[in-house]
Amino acid sequence: MNATRTIFAATGFWLCLGGVVLAFLWHISVGAKAIPLGVVWQAITAPQDGVFDHVVVRDLRMPRAIFAISVGAALSVAGALMQGVTRNPLAEPGILGLMAGATFAVIIGIGWFGLAGSAYVPLFAAIGALIGAVLVWTIASAAPGGATPLTLILSGAAVGGFLYAIESAAILLNEDTFRNFRVWLSGSLTGRDMQTYLWALPWFIAGLIAALVIARQVTALAMGEETAAGLGVDTFRIKVIALGAVVVLTAAAVSVAGPLGFVGLVIPHVVRLFVGSDYRLIVPFSAIVGAGYVTVVDIAARVVLAPVEISTGIVTTMLGAPMFIWLVRAKL
Amino acid sequence: MSMTTLEGFGGRLALRVPYRAVLVSVGLTVAIIGVLTWSLMTGSYPLDGAQVWATLLGDAPSDTATTVVWEFRFPRTLVAFIVGAFLALSGAALQYVTRNPLADPSLVGVSQGAALVVVAVTILAPGMGYYMRPILAFGGSLVVAALILLASSSRRGGETLRFILMGIGVAALISSVTSALLTYGDIDRAMSALGWLAGSVHSVGWDEVRWLTVTAIFVVPAFMAAARPLSAIRFGEDVATGLGIRVRMARWGLIILAVALAATAVAAVGPLGFVGLVAPHLARRLAHSGVGMHLVLTGLTGALLVGLADFAGRAAFAPVQIPAGLVTAMIGVPVFVALILRTQARSQL
Repeated sequence: MNATRTIFAATGFWLCLGGVVLAFLWHISVGAKAIPLGVVWQAITAPQDGVFDHVVVRDLRMPRAIFAISVGAALSVAGALMQGVTRNPLAEPGILGLMAGATFAVIIGIGWFGLAGSAYVPLFAAIGALIGAVLVWTIASAAPGGATPLTLILSGAAVGGFLYAIESAAILLNEDTFRNFRVWLSGSLTGRDMQTYLWALPWFIAGLIAALVIARQVTALAMGEETAAGLGVDTFRIKVIALGAVVVLTAAAVSVAGPLGFVGLVIPHVVRLFVGSDYRLIVPFSAIVGAGYVTVVDIAARVVLAPVEISTGIVTTMLGAPMFIWLVRAKL
Repeated sequence: MSMTTLEGFGGRLALRVPYRAVLVSVGLTVAIIGVLTWSLMTGSYPLDGAQVWATLLGDAPSDTATTVVWEFRFPRTLVAFIVGAFLALSGAALQYVTRNPLADPSLVGVSQGAALVVVAVTILAPGMGYYMRPILAFGGSLVVAALILLASSSRRGGETLRFILMGIGVAALISSVTSALLTYGDIDRAMSALGWLAGSVHSVGWDEVRWLTVTAIFVVPAFMAAARPLSAIRFGEDVATGLGIRVRMARWGLIILAVALAATAVAAVGPLGFVGLVAPHLARRLAHSGVGMHLVLTGLTGALLVGLADFAGRAAFAPVQIPAGLVTAMIGVPVFVALILRTQARSQL
């Protein structure tokens, strides 16, 4: 990277970060009772006991904004890594079965093994995401022509449909256990407690760090396997690390917010438009932009039909599916 | 293929009879009657075979038996059969027309279009006449089908599989709008719409039987008449044109028929996934035959499939009822995977 580019990238990064902070504060200030941004800022930087608005901000609203930011960053980075490593413009945790696997595993883990403890949720989600990914990949590779974007999406749809049918049946058979999961299943940031988030936090951090570390090699991989090998990249090792990071990030996001579709598809593509094809830029920018995106989407989900709230996952799908359709038209 | 040619009128009329296909279709019919009987017998008020037949013939052993059989089990089972046949035929037509073995009304968004309209009506205009449902559903899914076809056509060709991908995207989009409507709507109505969305035969009655029958009377003969153009289109547009088929017209006509069948079925019981995908392939496995016979076999297979799925769904974990749509998805996905494994990127039937 030459100097000008570095300056541009740095400026852009700080601008985006500023945008995310603004979105974060806005997210907190919006609600049944509007709280002015100034008070929100005060509540975060210099909280006073006994001030009602400060309590609302710190105990009720801030957790949700933090969830939105973490989930958005995780899913976008996961999508970026998948697109880079598999050189598939339509790769995304939701489309390729990782989310379905994670959701399924959480439902089954809770329903059959009675694991209500939030510590297990990310673990189960990770196992499920891994199984989902491997399943989709195996089916697609076995198809004639191998794992093309096309076969991957088809097998993703198959695996997703199958797991969804089983988990719906499991829910019907055990409605009491799952009363709280109804909303979670459609992808929502409501009703999750800080405890679950804290258990998922190490997973978020580990996944993001791994993604940043391998970003340079992912750029090489995105140019093709031979090119990468020629540049001295241990392609197998990078792929394994990338898979690990993607699984961990998806699992953390799903345990906090349920399946939020298409976030991982939309954000990396938008980011790529601005920063080009260097994953050292794509990864951090995806994280930032994705965080802001989910935060804003979550504001919309709460505001558009207020006092009724739409699940965040429904809104991300409404926004993301047209992008998917456009990509199918343009790139396949 | 074992065939015998029956000739009459001094050789001017010849009818080729594929023995195996005829045998299989008789077998399927027997199986359907078996499932019907079995399904009428089973439930929280069990009856034996003799009692069921007596009730059907108007000589019921008790009033409860009459109610249980005539009001609940009989219409429900009939609807399951008809809907199964409709979805199967719809899938077969879509597969022939798009020359794509993976086409299915629920995979390409047609079912979701119908579902969206029905949910919208249930939530936003609950007063609207019940009989409007299938018509509105038809309108909704027709729009979706047209959108997908237009969006997936391109100068570069390779439309077949793009059509499916486009459908997956459109289905996701429409489902999200449907879900948003559900959150917006009144809770009681939303709950009733939700049960319906899982694809459940459970709350249907004679009304549904009536409108499905009306549709069948109009559409199924049209389908059988379409067997000829279908068998030509199967070999590609050029061949069909060469054989004197108006390909474009036949194509759109068939798509409209397929959409009409799927939409009526969905309006009655909600989106039942994968039936339209699985039934045509099973039928082909059971017996090779011409297009006309294949359509007959497909319809019967679909009927049997949904009848069994509904029966399994309500008997397996009684008293909890698993919607038939979940059962068909569990059966259908493995078949879907098998098809992906066999389908070349540019495939033909």
